[in-house]
Amino acid sequence: MKENNDILKTIARRDGTTVPEGYFDDFARRMADALPERPELAAMNAAPAPRTMWERVRPYVYMAAMFAGVWCMLKMFTTVAGGNELTPIEKNPVMAEALSSDDFMNTYVVDDLSDRDIMDQMMEDGFDPAMFALDPEQETE
Amino acid sequence: MASITQDNPSLVERLRNPATVRDAFTEVIAEYSEPLYRQIRRMVQSHDDANDLLQNTFMKAWGSIEHFRGDARLGTWLYKIATNETLTHLERERKRRGLSLDEQEAALINTIEADTDIDGDELALKLRKAIATLPEKQRLVFNMRYYDEMRYDDISEVLGTSVGALKASYHLAVKKIEQFFSDED
Repeated sequence: MKENNDILKTIARRDGTTVPEGYFDDFARRMADALPERPELAAMNAAPAPRTMWERVRPYVYMAAMFAGVWCMLKMFTTVAGGNELTPIEKNPVMAEALSSDDFMNTYVVDDLSDRDIMDQMMEDGFDPAMFALDPEQETE
Repeated sequence: MASITQDNPSLVERLRNPATVRDAFTEVIAEYSEPLYRQIRRMVQSHDDANDLLQNTFMKAWGSIEHFRGDARLGTWLYKIATNETLTHLERERKRRGLSLDEQEAALINTIEADTDIDGDELALKLRKAIATLPEKQRLVFNMRYYDEMRYDDISEVLGTSVGALKASYHLAVKKIEQFFSDED
């Protein structure tokens, strides 16, 4: 193996191939002549322009504006909803007037009773369901 | 001869300038045609195929010169294009002629033996035959490392393989070549 390693050294990185006389000079000339025109390369930027101050700070300004917008929206919703404080009914003139009105109470509170509420009220007033029971003789007929 | 490891900053700058790109690319051809030709020729063995592939390499490079922004080294970029062209050619030839990998290896050795463009160096010829018995990727790694003395980092950039894998591949290639020489003796 040592001897073979020496062979790689002996060969000294020559691959033994040759090319026709003047091949590379001729190749470069022929290749340069064969290159197609590329007018679109005129639009290629020679070098990227240095970034302006505005371009550098723009992402941070946009981020700050976004946070400010979110804060403004939250503030607006809080103001419209009146915050988390509960307002006493007596301090709400619309509710106070409605609750003091008999018509409002009869229409929206008293009349809004369910069948179960009515039945409970009737039972409390001494109503006996047996009075509606059918006579057994009539039933057989 | 141009080195893959060092770029000429002025040349790179002129390649990025629309006013000078064509002249600069002509210089690139003059500088890199020989190292790229050698790399391709060692893979395909035939001068005519190497000549065609070299032309294709420069045509492709010229066609996408606007994408070369100087982030990668010019030499690495060109080697990568040449390598892709070469591997595609070998694959296409294998399919066109309906050859297996072993048959293609035998065909390469036949091409080497029939090659008239050799300098008569028997040892170098024997090494070329030994290299032809290696798998394609291993052949590429051995050629770049042994003949072009490229750094593993540069080979890694060209082939997209980790440095560790390249070292292992080169080591295996050397072992196989040593075995080839032992068997021939």
